[in-house]
Amino acid sequence: MSWNEFIYFAGGSLFLWILGVAALYLIRRRAISDILICSGLTLFASFIALLWIDLGHPPLKTMGETRLWYSLFLVLVGYLTYLRWGYKWLVAYSTLISSVFIIINLLKPEIHNENLMPALQSIWFVPHVTVYILAYAMMGAATVAALIALLGHSRSQDKLISMIDDLVYIGLAFLIAGILMGAIWAKQAWGDYWTWDPKEIWAFITAATFLVYIHSRRAGYNLKIILWIIPLGLILLMITWLGVSYLPSAQGSIHVY
Amino acid sequence: MDREESKGKPETFIKEVTFILAVTFAGVALQFVTGAFDFAILAFPVNLIFLLIFIVLMAVRPSNAIGRFGTLSISIILISVLIILSIIMGLVPENNVKNSWPFVLTYLMLLVNLALVIGRRIRTFKLKDTGFMLNHLGLFILLFSASFGSADMERYFMKVDQGDIEWRGRSTKTGVVVELPVAVQLTDFKIEEYQTKLALVSRKTGELLPEGKPQYSESKLNSKSHLGEWSIIVDSIIDRKKYAPAAYIEAINENSGDEHKGWVSCGNYFQSHKVLNLTDEYCIAMTYPEPKSFSSEVEVFKEGGASKKGIIQVNHPLTIGQWKIYQYSYNTQMGRNSDYSVFELVYDPWLIPAYAGIIMLFTGVMTLFCRGARR
Repeated sequence: MSWNEFIYFAGGSLFLWILGVAALYLIRRRAISDILICSGLTLFASFIALLWIDLGHPPLKTMGETRLWYSLFLVLVGYLTYLRWGYKWLVAYSTLISSVFIIINLLKPEIHNENLMPALQSIWFVPHVTVYILAYAMMGAATVAALIALLGHSRSQDKLISMIDDLVYIGLAFLIAGILMGAIWAKQAWGDYWTWDPKEIWAFITAATFLVYIHSRRAGYNLKIILWIIPLGLILLMITWLGVSYLPSAQGSIHVY
Repeated sequence: MDREESKGKPETFIKEVTFILAVTFAGVALQFVTGAFDFAILAFPVNLIFLLIFIVLMAVRPSNAIGRFGTLSISIILISVLIILSIIMGLVPENNVKNSWPFVLTYLMLLVNLALVIGRRIRTFKLKDTGFMLNHLGLFILLFSASFGSADMERYFMKVDQGDIEWRGRSTKTGVVVELPVAVQLTDFKIEEYQTKLALVSRKTGELLPEGKPQYSESKLNSKSHLGEWSIIVDSIIDRKKYAPAAYIEAINENSGDEHKGWVSCGNYFQSHKVLNLTDEYCIAMTYPEPKSFSSEVEVFKEGGASKKGIIQVNHPLTIGQWKIYQYSYNTQMGRNSDYSVFELVYDPWLIPAYAGIIMLFTGVMTLFCRGARR
C-alpha cells in the first residue's frame, strides 16, 4: 500500500462521512448515520494500517503522515463526543476539518516527504494536536452560545446556560488533556515536563481562565458578568494557537513551529 | 455548601481579595529587598517538611480561621491572580516572573487552598466525588512535584567520544564539572539524514531563490526536475562515508536552450562546497543534509554495579534508577561522521509523583468530559 492508493481510501471515507453527516440531519433512524460514519472510519484506518505494514514503522515521520492521523482522529473523537452528547454539528465540523487535511495531502503529494524534525517524531504529536483542534470547536461553540445568552433574548435561557456549561466542561477536558499529553511529550523530548515556555504559559492562561468560569458558576456569581469569561477565553485560546509566534517574549522559543 | 458560604456576602469576598493581594504585594516588596526567589532552598528535606505541613492542613476544620482559606471564592481569586501574573510572564520579554516572590507566594497560597479543599472533601467523601478528588488531588500532587519537587532535580551535560566511557558531567545550572554516579559508554553513534536538495542561489547575496520562498528539487540519481526556468537532470551521485555528498548535474534552460554541466556538492568539514554557475546572477547549489534521526548505542553503568545497554535517541531517553539520559547533540560540523555524542542527564526523584498526578488529573478530566456540568 502506498500513497498512490490514498485517493481511493480517502475519497471513499470522505464520501461515507459526508453521507453520514447528511443522514444525521435528514434521516430519523440513527443506525444509518452510525453505519456510514463507522464504515468511513474503518476504511480510513485500514489505509493507515496497510501503509504502516508497508513502511515497516508507524507512519509518523513526515508532515503528510501526521495529517493522516489528524483526519482519522478528528472524526473519531468528534463522533465519540456526538455519541455521548448528541452534538450533530460537531460531527459535521470534524468531517470538514478532516477533509481539509485530506485535500492538502491529495493536492500537495510532494509534502509527503516534508521533513519532520526528530523532536516532532513522537506518538504524542497527533493526540496532542487533535484534542486542541476539538477544544477550539467546543470553546467556539460555547462562545457563540454565551453571546446569544448575553445579547439575545432566548426564551429557553436555562437550557441554553446548561448547554454552555456542558460545552465548557467538555472543552476544558480537551484543553487539560492536551496540556498533560504535551507535558509527557516534553519530558521525553526535552527532559522537562514544564518549562514555562511561551506556548505553555498561554496554554496555562487559557485553561485557567475556563477554570475560573466553572468555579464561578459553582460559586453562583452574577451570570451576566461571568458569561463574558467565555469569549475572553476563546481570545486567549487564539493567542495560544496563533499569536504566540508573534509575541516578542516568544522569540527563541523551541515551541514555535 | 460552597454556594451558601460565599453567596450574598460581598464583605467576605472583599476581605479575601484584600488578604490575597496583600500577600502578593508583600511578595513585590520582598522581590525588591532580596531579589528573585531561589527554588534551591526548597530542596530535600525542606520540601518534605512542607509536604507534612500540607498533609496537616488537610486535617484542619473548615470553620477554623485557617480552614476558612479553603473556600471556593478564594480558589477563584487565586487562579485569577495567577492568570494576571502569567499574562505578564507571557508578554514581557526576558522576564523572571516564574522565579519572583509574588508568583511563588501566590502559587503557595493556591497549594494551601487546594490542600484545605481536598481535606474538607475527604471528610465527607462519597463515591460521586471520585472525579472531584482525582482532579483536585491530582493537580495538588502535580503542582507540588513541579515546584517543591523540582528543587531536587539535577541536570548535567555529558560529552562522550565514540568508544569512550565518561562519568563526569557539566551542571547545566552552575557550569561546574562534577563526577556523577552514572557512567556512559558510547558504543556507536548513528545518524540518518534526509536526502540533500538542489536549489538556485543568488551569487551576490548567497540567498536561496526565489528569495523568502525558496524552491527545491531532490538530488536523487536520474531524477528530473525544474528549478525556475531550468530543467535539472542528476546524472550521477557520490554518497560515501566521510565524503561530502555530491551530484553531477545537467541544467538546461527551457527558454534559451543554454546548457551547463558539472559537479555540485554541499561540502563538509574537510571538503569545500561546490556550486554550478548558471548565469552571472545565480548558481545551483546543494543544501546540507538535514538529520532525520540520530541515535547513540550505549552501555550505562550505575554506582554499585548495575548496568544497562540501550539506544538513546530524541524522544527516547534511557532510564536507569532515577536518572534519565537524553540524546542532546553531536558533532554537528562533522554531521554523519560525528565522533562524539552529547547527552543530557536528568536526575528527578519526584518524577513518579508528578506522573501519578498527571495520570490522576487525566482520569479526572475524563469524568469532566463524560459528565459535563452535572454533579
